Amino acid sequence: MDLLSFLYLPFLAGLILTGIHAYLGVHVVERGVIFVDLSLAQIAALGTTSAYLAGHDLHSPVTYFWSLGFTILGAAIFALTRVHRETRIPQEAIIGIVYAVSAAAAILAMSKAPEGTEHLKDMLVGNILTVSPGTIIKTAILYALVGIFHYIFRRRFLAVSMGQQIPNLKLWDFLFYTSFGFVVTSSVAIAGVLLVFSYLIVPSVAAMLFAQSIGKRLAIGWTMGAIVSALGILASFQYDLPTGATIVCTFGIALLLMAIVWAIRRPRFAA
Amino acid sequence: MRRILILATLLFATGAFAAPLKVVTTISDLASLTKEVGGDRVDVQSVARGYQDPHFVEPKPSFLLLLRNAELLEVVGLELEIGWLPPLLDQSRNNNIRPGAKGYLDLSNGVEIQDRPTGTVNRSMGDVHPLGNPHYWLDPANAVRIAIQIEKKLEELRPADAPYFQQRLNDFKVRINEANKRWTAQLAPYRGAKIVTYHNSWPNFMRRFGINVVGYVEPKPGVPPSPSHTFELINMMKDQKVKAVIMEPYFDAKTPQSIAERSGAKLVVLYPSVGGAKDSSTDDYFKLFDSNVAKLVEALK
Repeated sequence: MDLLSFLYLPFLAGLILTGIHAYLGVHVVERGVIFVDLSLAQIAALGTTSAYLAGHDLHSPVTYFWSLGFTILGAAIFALTRVHRETRIPQEAIIGIVYAVSAAAAILAMSKAPEGTEHLKDMLVGNILTVSPGTIIKTAILYALVGIFHYIFRRRFLAVSMGQQIPNLKLWDFLFYTSFGFVVTSSVAIAGVLLVFSYLIVPSVAAMLFAQSIGKRLAIGWTMGAIVSALGILASFQYDLPTGATIVCTFGIALLLMAIVWAIRRPRFAA
Repeated sequence: MRRILILATLLFATGAFAAPLKVVTTISDLASLTKEVGGDRVDVQSVARGYQDPHFVEPKPSFLLLLRNAELLEVVGLELEIGWLPPLLDQSRNNNIRPGAKGYLDLSNGVEIQDRPTGTVNRSMGDVHPLGNPHYWLDPANAVRIAIQIEKKLEELRPADAPYFQQRLNDFKVRINEANKRWTAQLAPYRGAKIVTYHNSWPNFMRRFGINVVGYVEPKPGVPPSPSHTFELINMMKDQKVKAVIMEPYFDAKTPQSIAERSGAKLVVLYPSVGGAKDSSTDDYFKLFDSNVAKLVEALK
């Protein structure tokens, strides 16, 4: 019984993460910008590092605005570099470059401001096991606001992600990446990059096996995310494993099982 | 029947039947010293394993349960555990072992601390512990000071067992003094020898036995080796005829290995904590020193 009382906070965090990420994941997969979350998280971390180097405390509001500023800058870069029609440079290449350069820049900054590697790790390795109730409430409010924003403008966001041409395309792109950056920056601090990546991509990919419409894909993604969170956390307590990594592996196993079901059920070509 | 019951109640009240005190320590060395003093009246477990870097410990669910049920938490302090203990402690919801509570014991209060920075600490100095070097347990004299504090606390929490703890503490003091003489004698021929260590984990140990630490593989504490620092270190080691490079088991051996090869020194892995070795050669505080002293002697020959 005692153990169960420790389960519910990580599980609650898992549900909140599922809620927003399974939704954003649909966009990310549609857009084909799979690694954009890693890239934005890394830019945010670079912002934090730079603020730290400039002499601000790691948890001060100033530092938060630095990281926000860098995230918005990243969003602007991604909004401006949609697949280029003349050069045909894929956006994923830009995302990869931004990731590598900002990761390397953060390492350089940290080598000047030691005590550093440790904090750099902190930024990208959250721990879902020890998430505090206060963080859960703050994050839930933030995600709800982003969710409402996306719900109000859902047609436009969806149209942009599906590659349709709408007026002010670049503006909507920018708004998408900015709100996305908001979410990813705080979820990475809670759960770490690996886990956030899984919450974002796996439910969306799994749902694509079984459904075409956005509504159905969301329903499948949310269900899967909730079940996997519960199973992963239970397994982590049962076998005493690091919680985040256990959930990631549970996502992998669940996706594999779903793919097997899909392969068996798939209508075969008539002989 | 009634008499037996009364007798049982009396025995229980005097603590003779009391369950062992549940003690959790952050590192295995404190667990070993607690066992020395507490014997079978304590049930002690360490959060970090001996082979882990105590600066970084990956939180696992069992740690929460351990802390939840603990009656006493012993920490090294000096911010050694600052990166991982506070969130675990928050989450364990055990108010009896929070800092300031009766069941919380910070052992850095009554020991001799090295490298206490004078003046202000700033970030250009690296990952310096502003309160002093937290690796203070690697000195038999400090082990005694730690054991004394543990004994006091155990007495406070289990007054009925006070004579038992006192007797065990005295016994421990005798044994550690004898062992210390033996270790000092083993290392006596190498007094003043120069060595380089990876991290600054050994100031207490080396000072106790008169070994001179003249440099570190890390350019600054917590910062991985850089090319120019490594180059200068190798030249300095050749100049000063440094005989050994000491590293902890949880660092990458590549850089220290190449430094040792190019400077003609020997690379030695010493264990900074009880239980660090895969075999049983470092399973308690005495064995840990036996093993480290023997390896150091071998390297300095």
